[in-house]
Amino acid sequence: MAAVRSEQPAVVVQGVDMDFGTGAMAVKGASFALEPGRFLTILGPSGSGKTTLLRMIAGFQAPTRGEILIGGRPADAVAPHRRSIGMVFQKLALFPHMTVNANVAFPLKMRRHDPRTIPARVARYLDLVRLGGYGNRRIHELSGGQQQRVAIARALVFEPDLLLLDEPLAALDRKLREEMQLEFRRIQKELGVTTINVTHDQREALVVSDEIIVMDHGEIQQHTSPVDMYRSPANPFVASFIGVSSFLEGLSSPRGLMVNGVDCAGVAAGAILPGMPARGAIRAEQTRIGAAAEACDTVLEGRITDTIFEGERLMYFVDLPALGTGVRIYHHDPAEHAPFEKGATVSTGWNARDLLIFPAKDR
Amino acid sequence: MPETPADFRYPLRWRLMDGIEALADRIWPRRLAPWTGWLLITPALLLVGLLVLGLIQIADSSLRTLDTATFLPSEDWSLANFEKALASRVYLTVAWRSLLGAALTTFLTLALAFPYAYALVRTRRPWVRKALLITLFLPFFIGQVVRAYGWLIILGNSGMVNEALSLVGVAPMRLLFNYPAVIFGMVQYMLPFAVLLMVPALAAIPAETETAAGSLGANWLRTTWHVVLPMAKPGLIGAGLVVATLSLTDFAVPAMLGGGSQDFIANAIYDQFFRTADQGLGSALALMLVAAGSVLVGLVFLVFGAGTLSMGGRR
Ligand SMILES: Nc1ncnc2c1ncn2[C@@H]1O[C@H](COP(=O)(O)OP(=O)(O)OP(=O)(O)O)[C@@H](O)[C@H]1O
Ligand SMILES: [Mg+2]
Repeated sequence: MAAVRSEQPAVVVQGVDMDFGTGAMAVKGASFALEPGRFLTILGPSGSGKTTLLRMIAGFQAPTRGEILIGGRPADAVAPHRRSIGMVFQKLALFPHMTVNANVAFPLKMRRHDPRTIPARVARYLDLVRLGGYGNRRIHELSGGQQQRVAIARALVFEPDLLLLDEPLAALDRKLREEMQLEFRRIQKELGVTTINVTHDQREALVVSDEIIVMDHGEIQQHTSPVDMYRSPANPFVASFIGVSSFLEGLSSPRGLMVNGVDCAGVAAGAILPGMPARGAIRAEQTRIGAAAEACDTVLEGRITDTIFEGERLMYFVDLPALGTGVRIYHHDPAEHAPFEKGATVSTGWNARDLLIFPAKDR
Repeated sequence: MPETPADFRYPLRWRLMDGIEALADRIWPRRLAPWTGWLLITPALLLVGLLVLGLIQIADSSLRTLDTATFLPSEDWSLANFEKALASRVYLTVAWRSLLGAALTTFLTLALAFPYAYALVRTRRPWVRKALLITLFLPFFIGQVVRAYGWLIILGNSGMVNEALSLVGVAPMRLLFNYPAVIFGMVQYMLPFAVLLMVPALAAIPAETETAAGSLGANWLRTTWHVVLPMAKPGLIGAGLVVATLSLTDFAVPAMLGGGSQDFIANAIYDQFFRTADQGLGSALALMLVAAGSVLVGLVFLVFGAGTLSMGGRR
C-alpha cells in the first residue's frame, strides 16, 4: 500500500528511448510522470511499444537512452527481487507446479512475511478477486479468466508500491472483461496502489483510468484524463483510436474546413492558419442524421450506403456527394430504432464545435 | 477446383507422397485402421520379446552349476550360484562399488548437466549456444574407447597432468586405475546424455516465469530452487534414470580407467562368461543386476509416478 505519500511522483519517465536494433525504435522519447495512487493506462495499437515501456519501468530492461525513476530512485538501482513492484504479465507466468494458494503465498514467503499471517492474507486476496474456495486447485484446473485473477491476486498480495498490468484482461470474454475492469478500479481505489495498466482496448482505458497515455509507433501521442482524451484529442491518430471518427481532407478556412469547395463549420484543434492543408475529424456519435441534422451548423445531403446493426444502436455509412467522401454516423434512438433504409437520401449535419481541425501533417 | 494451366504439374514431393499413400492404401486398406497402432509397435514388441527369451535362457543357466570335472553345466537345477554370489565378499564389494558408483555418477552428472543445459537454453547469443553444443558433442563423436585412451595419455604416470605437476615441483601421482578416475570417466561419458535429456524440459519453462519469480521477491537461487527445478522435474528424473542405469551396468569405463582393480558388476559378469566360462554364475550375477536395475526404476516410478516423465497423466 502506498502508505508513504511522498511529495515526489511515484514514477518518472524521462526522455526514454528503446532501440532493439531491429529497425524502428520500439520506444522513442517517452516522458511522463505519475503521482502516487493514480491509475494510468497506456493505450496503443499492437506493436506500439507498450510492453517494452512497461518492462523498462519494471526494470527488466534498461532503456537505450533516458532515465526512469521509481519513487525518486533509478529503476535499476535496486535488485529485481527487492523492488516493490507487482506485475501481471501478458502471459500470466503462473507457477503450474503449485496450487492457487501456493502461487499467491509465493511472494509473501519470498519476502519473509510471518508464516502465521500468510494463510489469512492469501485467503483475503483470493476473496478480493472472487476466488475464495479455489485455493487448493492446481493452476491447470482453472479457467483462463480464473487464472488471470490468480495472477492479479499474486501481484497484489504483497501490497507493492507499484502495480504493472500488461493486458491482464485481454483473453477474457467481453462480459467478464467488463466485470474485471470495474473490479480493478475498485481494488485499486481500495488499496490506493499506483497502477500502470497496458491495453489496446480503448473502452477499458476510458472505464478504469485516472489518466491515459496513447502511444503509436513508440511515441507518446497524448497524456491526459479519459474525458479530455475523448473530448479534445491531440491529433487525428488519437481521434481515430478513441471512439469512432470520420475524417475530411481539405484546406483550413476562417469558418472551419474547405472540403471540395464546401465550407464546413469546425474548430481548429491546433496551431493552424487559414488556407493550410488540414484534416477534420468528426465522431460518429456527434454526426446527426435526418430531422436532428436540420438545425446543425453544417447540413449536407447524404445517401445511406450501408447500415450495421450493433444492438442498442445502428451505424450508418453515409456518402456525401458534395464533399466527395463519406462519414460514419451512430444512431441511437429507442423510440425510432432504425428509421432509414439503405439507399435512402437523408440530411446529414454537425455542429461547429464537433468538427476538430488538425494540420494535415499530423498523423 | 481452381483453374490450372494445361502444363501444370504438382511438385515432385507432393506426387511422391500421393503415390506412397496410394500404395499404403492398397497394402493396408482403411478398414484395418484400428490395428495400425499395433502394426507399428509390433517390431518393438518383437525385439522386447527376444530380450525376454534371452532372459529366460539366462535364468535357466543361472540355476545350473558348473561341473568342474567335465566343465559342463549340471543337469539339475539348484540355487547354488546365487548362494555363491551372495556369500562372496568379492561380489559384495563389486556390487557395492557399482551401486555407489552409479549413485555418485548420477548425482555429479545431474549437478553438472543442469547448469550446462540451462545455459544452452537461456543464452541469447546463437554463437554461445553453438559453442556449447559442439563442446558437448565433440567427446561424444570420438567414441568411448578412444576417449578412455585419451585419459590414459593425459592422466597416466608420465602423462600431461603429471608432467605439468612436476614443473611446479609436485611428485608424480597415481591419477589412473582408481575409483575417482572411474567416476570421473563415467561422469564425462554421461554428461551429453544428461544435458540432452534436460534441454527439452528446461526449454518448456517460459523465461517470463523466472522473471515473474524475480519480481515477486525471489533471488536467482530461490527462483532456481522453487521454480526452475520443480518445473524441470520430468527432465531431471528422465536424465537421472538413464544415467543411473547406464552407469550401474557400464563395462567399458571401469575396465579401461579402473585397470582391473575397479570392477563393476558388468566386469564381473564378463569375467564369468568369457574368462572362467562359468555361465551359471555369470547368469546369476546378470539376473541380480537386472533385478537391481528394475527395482531402481520401479522405485523412481513409485515415488514420482510415471507421469513425471511428462508421459501424460498427472501421477
Ligand atoms: N526483444 C525484442 N527484440 C526486438 N524487437 C522487439 C523486442 N521486443 C519488442 N520488439 C519490437 O518493439 C516494438 C514494440 O513491441 P511491444 O512488445 O512493446 O509492443 P506492444 O505495444 O506491447 O504490442 P502488443 O499490444 O501486441 O502486446 C515491436 O515492433 C516489436 O517488434
Ligand atoms: Mg504487449
